[in-house]
Amino acid sequence: MSVEDLPQKEVNVLKGHEGGVLAARFNSDGNYILSCGKDRTIRLWNPHRGIHIKTYKSHGREVRDVHVTSDNSKLCSCGGDRQVFYWDVATGRVIRKFRGHDGEVNGVKFNEYSSVVVSAGYDQSLRAWDCRSHSTEPIQIIDTFADSVMSVCLTKTEIIGGSVDGTVRTFDMRIGREISDSFGQPVNCISMSNDGNCILAGCLDSTVRLLDRTTGELLQEYKGHTNKSYKLDCCLTNTDAHVTGGSEDGFVYFWDLVDASVVSKFKAHASVVTSVSYHPKDNCMITSSVDGTISVWKT
Amino acid sequence: MDSDEEDFVFFGTPIEREEDSISRKKKAIAESSGQLRTLPAWKQEVRDDEGRRRFHGAFTGGYSAGYYNTVGSKEGISLCWNYNAPVMDLIINRHAVSVNFKNECVGWAPQTFVSSRKSRAEFKEQNILNFLDDDEKADLEGRFLGTSSQFDTFGSTAAEIARKQAEKEQKQRPSIIPGPAPDELVIPATESVGVKLLLKMGWSRGRSIKDSHTDALYDARRQARRAFIAFSTDDTKVKVTESERTKDDIQNFPEQSVNDDAQSSKITPVYVLNSKQDLYGLGFDPYKHAPEFREMKRSRLSSKTGPGHSKNFSTRDSLFGLKSGKAAPGFGIGALEELGAEDEDVYATGYEFEETYVQEEGEEPSVLTLENPKKKDQKEHGNLPGFKVTSNSDYKMERFEAPLIPKDFVPHHAFSGPREINRQNYEVPPPDVPPPEDSNLKLLIEGVANLVAKCGKLYEDLSREKNRSNQLFNFLSGGTGHDYYARKLWEAQQKCNDQTRVQLDGKMPPGVQRLTAESRGQILGEKPLEKTFEDPSSSVSSKDIQLQYNLVDTFTKSESFSELSEFEKPFKDDPAKQERFEQFIKAKYKGGLRSGSSSLAGNMSEAARAQERLSFEAAADAIEKRKQSRGSKFSTPSSMDFIPGGVMEFTSGTVEPTKDQPVVDFKEKKLCPKREEFQWRPSPLLCKRFDLVDPYMGKPAPAPRIRSKMDTLIFTSDSVKGTKVEEPVTAKKDISVLQQPANKDITKSIAENETEEEVEVENIERPVDLYKAIFSDDSDDEVEDNNIMKVENQEKKAEVANNTLSRLRAGDFLKSLGKELGIEVPPDTPYPTQKSGKDAPQRETVNEYAKPDIMNGENNMVSLKHDLPQDQGGPSKDDTGYGHMLDNRNIKTKGTSISDGKSKSSKSNGEKYEDDRKVKSPLVSNQNHRSSSEEDRSRKRSIKLDREKYDGYKKTKTPSTHRLDYRSSSSSEEDRSRKRSRHHRHRRHGVESDSSSDDERDRRSSRSKGRREKSSREKSNGSKKHSKHHKHGKHESPSRSSHYRVDKENSYSRKEKRRRE
Repeated sequence: MSVEDLPQKEVNVLKGHEGGVLAARFNSDGNYILSCGKDRTIRLWNPHRGIHIKTYKSHGREVRDVHVTSDNSKLCSCGGDRQVFYWDVATGRVIRKFRGHDGEVNGVKFNEYSSVVVSAGYDQSLRAWDCRSHSTEPIQIIDTFADSVMSVCLTKTEIIGGSVDGTVRTFDMRIGREISDSFGQPVNCISMSNDGNCILAGCLDSTVRLLDRTTGELLQEYKGHTNKSYKLDCCLTNTDAHVTGGSEDGFVYFWDLVDASVVSKFKAHASVVTSVSYHPKDNCMITSSVDGTISVWKT
Repeated sequence: MDSDEEDFVFFGTPIEREEDSISRKKKAIAESSGQLRTLPAWKQEVRDDEGRRRFHGAFTGGYSAGYYNTVGSKEGISLCWNYNAPVMDLIINRHAVSVNFKNECVGWAPQTFVSSRKSRAEFKEQNILNFLDDDEKADLEGRFLGTSSQFDTFGSTAAEIARKQAEKEQKQRPSIIPGPAPDELVIPATESVGVKLLLKMGWSRGRSIKDSHTDALYDARRQARRAFIAFSTDDTKVKVTESERTKDDIQNFPEQSVNDDAQSSKITPVYVLNSKQDLYGLGFDPYKHAPEFREMKRSRLSSKTGPGHSKNFSTRDSLFGLKSGKAAPGFGIGALEELGAEDEDVYATGYEFEETYVQEEGEEPSVLTLENPKKKDQKEHGNLPGFKVTSNSDYKMERFEAPLIPKDFVPHHAFSGPREINRQNYEVPPPDVPPPEDSNLKLLIEGVANLVAKCGKLYEDLSREKNRSNQLFNFLSGGTGHDYYARKLWEAQQKCNDQTRVQLDGKMPPGVQRLTAESRGQILGEKPLEKTFEDPSSSVSSKDIQLQYNLVDTFTKSESFSELSEFEKPFKDDPAKQERFEQFIKAKYKGGLRSGSSSLAGNMSEAARAQERLSFEAAADAIEKRKQSRGSKFSTPSSMDFIPGGVMEFTSGTVEPTKDQPVVDFKEKKLCPKREEFQWRPSPLLCKRFDLVDPYMGKPAPAPRIRSKMDTLIFTSDSVKGTKVEEPVTAKKDISVLQQPANKDITKSIAENETEEEVEVENIERPVDLYKAIFSDDSDDEVEDNNIMKVENQEKKAEVANNTLSRLRAGDFLKSLGKELGIEVPPDTPYPTQKSGKDAPQRETVNEYAKPDIMNGENNMVSLKHDLPQDQGGPSKDDTGYGHMLDNRNIKTKGTSISDGKSKSSKSNGEKYEDDRKVKSPLVSNQNHRSSSEEDRSRKRSIKLDREKYDGYKKTKTPSTHRLDYRSSSSSEEDRSRKRSRHHRHRRHGVESDSSSDDERDRRSSRSKGRREKSSREKSNGSKKHSKHHKHGKHESPSRSSHYRVDKENSYSRKEKRRRE
């Protein structure tokens, strides 16, 4: 994929959030996006047509992360009110609220079968919640982290969490093992490569690091952007050819995956780019910002 | 039975006739003799006193009501009839059936029972018609909405009307078939608009709509195809027949057209001719891309259907399979896509089919039957039309030899299973045997076990070798205490496993130092938080070093120890000893296992050697630490002071706080992420939800994981602390501990940190309960000075503490070993195992210490008490709440006092003590003096009870979980709050208004003394519950772990002190 193919043309600006947008995520097929922000709402958009579809209101504080099941029927979200909400997409009602975190909840994800929600909290724990039963108790609490857990990723068999204690911990359910990879830097955001072999970890020293999951080897470091105080997202493009991430100065960066050179950067927002999310198939990307907008980028 | 027969006859009869009633009357009389009572219940009839049947006549109403609302099936109606029949309400289905059978109402089966559990919401759709009478329906008739016949394009309204008409008629003349007439039989009377249009266009009924000349075209194409087939098949016979047939075709041509007309008139209402026989979805064509196979399947089907099916169909199909899909219109194009599909008019095929059918029938019946078997024969060989079987096949099944397995191959694959699952959890642990009576031996065993666990089996062998003659070491070679040794060794090994894992942390290169909250804060440029006692990082690193130290026995040290500078020669005065020491150091850092003693000291006794080794270890340790501390701005001379006598203990904490960590390093170094692995047990439910097999399935619950972080080493000791904390040691003892020369490293280091930050300590909110757990029993203990129970408790606790501590702190072992070997251990425990009897003199000293600071303490107190009423808003009804409040206050003061207590300055000790006393027990102490002996006794009794309970708690505790710890502390809490409630009760009685001065309070308490006395029991009971409740709330509240950590440190050191007592 050449540099020209990178999504750098702004096709839509989605406005609606009052206050900063903290996260924006594509759904599994890339047709819709979900965003959440400081205005305590979650919003559903069609990014390709630039339409706001629905607003989900119930959170009592800012919403920090949102995730949708692969069948688009359910949402989960979390935020400053220390709860994880489990929503019905169509009706916009909260099906369940999972309480238990002792602090703000930073990240949330469904598992593959949408039966479990795993949330990462400021209380140094990962908690797994059951969507199938009516129990509101966590199935499991993973509290081996030494500091706030910022981000969580799930594979079919593993739970991966990135924490401010500088570690990315992989909890493998098949073999009952925890693998801790210590970066020595607070990990802000983790995201999986599309082939599942690497973890991209955005660290608070303005560096994005690429970790080989099998060996625990540091494959590459991507620098140039600013990330010192905000929780910024980073991700790989759909082809795994480039790494992209936001910066606190409103820029969006693209790095080459292999040689870590900045292949492109452009001013995307007036303020901190909190979240970037890449379309699962197309060359399309969304960025959200503290300035309250979500931009849709295409080639 | 005559009467029976009659009963059956009358079953289902609508209304009884008059004449019957007479006979019934007679019968009733007969029955009154009891004849009928012998009948089974379902045969009995309910009659009135005149012998008439009751409960009949519900036939008309019962039908529709039963059908629509209750019964649920047509069959059930008859059941309903029976039910309404006089037979009785006791009849159940089965019986009714049999009865009916005799009545020849054959033909229905009772509905089988279907559980409604799965399909709960299945209701009969009810509409208004179900409830209307016929006349009402008739009234309604004209008022339903429907398409008027004028616009009835598809004839639906017409059909509807026709059906209704049929229904009406049916009612008038009942037919054999019950129920409404099937829709299929009712044909709409009017034509649809489409038909009308066609008719207007000149189409007559029964004719095909097709153009006449398409026929000709089609025939031509068919001929061509036939020719093609004939050529491609190598069968001459086929050719012949084909040619024959073409001849026939030509001959019969005129006839055919006649036939065509005749046939087509019959076929106008075309339904699906070849019905759907497969299970595919409608319109789905499995042979869409492989039409050759359609033929095969069809032949198979037709052969199956056999002669009952039209033979012509099958033969024609097999012959002209390419056309076969064109059976009917409306089948979809998919079914028509065949070889020649593109040149055929797919939409015109609906009637063509019939034509071909007719043609073939007329043409060649004989030929077909002739060639039929041959064709089928071919099919059976799997030949497709147009293909033939080759004589020689290139394809041969290639076989490969299985690879040769090496002879030495062991068919075993080690899967990466759950970590250390076999070694740790599932190895059968040696039975837990009680320790030997001899406490010396016990300690020795534990020590050796620890060392063996650390250094390996080799050490055990060596020491066995060496100590063969020594009676004490019998346990090594199976003597007394061997079981206990095995157990201890196992435990130690388990612990060691955890530690080695942890130890990797300590071994990591300096650049990749574990990121602590503090260093992170520095990276981020955060303003450091107000320091509390000692930042957790220092404790972590100190643990690191300790562990490193622990393992120097087994691991090579890269660091060269060649130059021992002047101050590193601790044995200057004794050159020989110094020499030995240097050798010791060399051996130590050369790595490997040291032989028990160096050859240089060959003439020394065992005991002397052990002692010397102890001192060497200590000296080496000190030197090492000094090296590390060099350059750090923190010099901790006190801990560095090396006392050759071995005063220094090998515990953690000597290391200076790593405040000035080279944080900058992080930035420069290219980090390589460090990978660690731990065991982690996913919950079974989680595995289930992820659709995975639980790796721990069927395996016992894991031993509570000792978390691999450094600080959790302290956590593990919690259980011990739990017991220790509640230990009703008198305050004096604490003080006495503090009085001891502060030669314990940990105490020192903590104290150093604390003295530094003493001031800030007060500001910091602390988890209340821990402090309570630590301190709140102090005041009570004054009362119970002479309690004998306590002594026992203490012994127990000392034992527990010894156990766990010796296990936890491997470094400690050497000392204990030395002790047990009969070496005089340096006088670091000047107060060996104090019993409460010795309390009195110590108290004196305490008071002495306290004196200078009494004023200070009192000031504190006064301010506190000022606070109190404001918060509380007057005397509270709920004494626990009040107590809680008060306790919070106390705790804050105690927060201060802890730090004081930890510091070496005896002044602050005194202060602390005084504080405690002042806050907690002004009343008690007063009371002590004033109260009658009776009162005292009663209280003691209650205390004793508490204590017993308390002991119970203790016993249930296992010293490894720290969850349990909470429980224990809660119990102690409970205990304490009970005690406290006593105080508060006093206070509540006394305090009517806000008061702050001690004197006033005293007076009041003395006033309320009498009342207090009688009600003390019940109230304490009541408040117990309350306090429990309170406790829960507290635990739920979030508290930062750093606080915990600090607390743990504190209590840990406290414990240690107590242990020493």
